[in-house]
Amino acid sequence: MSAKISQNTKNSIDKDQLGHLTRQQLKELEEKKKTGWQKALDWMIMVLPFVCGIVAMLEYWMVPNGGSNDNPYTYVGFLVVLIGAYLIYFIYSVVKKAGGDKAVLDMLRYRAPLLSALFLLLAAYDYLTLKTGILTQPFVPCMNAIINIAWIDRAYLITCTLHTLRLLFLGYFIGVFLGLVTGITCGYSERVRYWVNPVIKFLGPIPTSTWIPIVMVVATSLFKGAVFIIALGSWFAVTVASMTGISNVDKDFFDAARTLGASSRQLVFRVAIPHAMPSILQGCTQAMSSACVAIMIAEMMGVKAGLGWYMNWAKSWTAYDKMFAALFVICFIFTMVTKALDLIKRRVLRWQNGVVK
Amino acid sequence: MAEKQVSLVLENVSKSFAKVENDEVTHALNAIDLSLRSGEFVSLVGPSGCGKSTILRLVAGLIMPTTGKITVDGKEITEPSPERGMMFQKSTLFPWLTVEKNIAFSLKMQGKLKGNEEKVEHMLKVIGLESFRNDYPGQLSGGMAQRVALMRSLINEPDILLLDEPLGALDAFTRMNMQDEILKIWQEKGQLALMVTHDVDEAVYMGTRVIVMDSNPGRVVGDIKIAEGYPRDRSSNTFVEYRNEILNRLHFGGRN
Repeated sequence: MSAKISQNTKNSIDKDQLGHLTRQQLKELEEKKKTGWQKALDWMIMVLPFVCGIVAMLEYWMVPNGGSNDNPYTYVGFLVVLIGAYLIYFIYSVVKKAGGDKAVLDMLRYRAPLLSALFLLLAAYDYLTLKTGILTQPFVPCMNAIINIAWIDRAYLITCTLHTLRLLFLGYFIGVFLGLVTGITCGYSERVRYWVNPVIKFLGPIPTSTWIPIVMVVATSLFKGAVFIIALGSWFAVTVASMTGISNVDKDFFDAARTLGASSRQLVFRVAIPHAMPSILQGCTQAMSSACVAIMIAEMMGVKAGLGWYMNWAKSWTAYDKMFAALFVICFIFTMVTKALDLIKRRVLRWQNGVVK
Repeated sequence: MAEKQVSLVLENVSKSFAKVENDEVTHALNAIDLSLRSGEFVSLVGPSGCGKSTILRLVAGLIMPTTGKITVDGKEITEPSPERGMMFQKSTLFPWLTVEKNIAFSLKMQGKLKGNEEKVEHMLKVIGLESFRNDYPGQLSGGMAQRVALMRSLINEPDILLLDEPLGALDAFTRMNMQDEILKIWQEKGQLALMVTHDVDEAVYMGTRVIVMDSNPGRVVGDIKIAEGYPRDRSSNTFVEYRNEILNRLHFGGRN
């Protein structure tokens, strides 16, 4: 059925069919028809990542190396994996389009220029490091060396990653939970706000990292101290955001809920909190970025484990390749965590953009 | 017709508000005496500041009178209750709940949703929005949102229906449609309906009784029975006479 509609032209749609349109089909119907030239251009752009991938490969293989390069095939493998992943994505999109679902291919077309740029960036980086040494070796190691060392040292890197994640989530969730409790009670009760507000006003402007030296001296264990610092930062962000969210609830919603028989407990949990959700989740996102900063500083300054510590330790042994490997792992996990948070946010707040399941 | 016959009595009710910016107090309502019964559709009209909305909020139990008392069947009103359903000018639908869940909100709050799902279904059917059940209020037009809000307060089968300028924000055509829809629902159930409006035509078109109010301080200056059957002709002579009489009471002198 859906395939049939999307193949129809504008004129041959009768009234009955219009009744069963999906959002995607509607968009296709109303879109201006693309000219042959535009279509060809779209396909060229979608093929571009392959071209750039091959350019990156050729650059690595053809341009003579400036210095030594052990295990040269690792980087080739890495590029092949990236190109292969794009190939699978590409084939999947084309198959989907043949089945009538154009959205996936549109997304691919949207992402293709960025992915092409990624390959070019890899090629440029390789040229600046391994080939010419404009970025001095071994201080800025080439990609091949970074991937090699990450693989050799993988067991230790994983241990450190797990340690970082454990510390991050422990501190973050404690902070978010306490932040929700204080924020919501403050937003709701004037008396609690009276006592808590000065604390927030006083502690708020102090950057989290300021606490680190103090905590390192006072705390019984460095791990606990780090948890405290991360929790403190998250607590602050979430408290402020949920407090504003709750106290900004439109009074009319409370009136309406009261005439509908909501108890005062229900006014909090069924009206105030859902209404403040956008603000609360905003606070959670902010808390995560503050937690990411805090954990790195804590690990670099005191805690004897985790990726931050690994980086610092690698630096002191002049193992710059390890340092960069850890940097990429940090990049990767923080991106993943932020992405996950964003997905949760979109799911919870789907009423805001009016997206129907 | 109605499940329960009720009588609503306001005895010498005054309500004053303290101003936020200074120490002054405004007298929104001054010594109001009213007696209303089930089966009546009472329109409250008057200029802004005459305290007509205040009466509604008092009856709803959202605010307490400064002096005097308000009783339903002799029992004083102390807090809001689903037995006195209220509809606001702004739809106040909860934007995070779907249409269906908005309508079911009241039942859910009272723990009565289990076993009453068909009531929600019925309400959706009455307003013809079954296919919108999973939509969020942000996706609805103003008229649809007000229909849903009406059903949300009617699901409790309230004895008293309070309408606070429910159609004030709608366009003229939607407005006339909804006037008839509300009348139909009220005629079926025969509750006591109490509607605030600033539109004299609407007051005459819908009410069995029009209470005219004036401001400074808020007081009743007229209580007019509309002895006309439904549906009413907006251009008939009697209709125009009623309207002129109300305007006269408010010193906006009509033709006579």
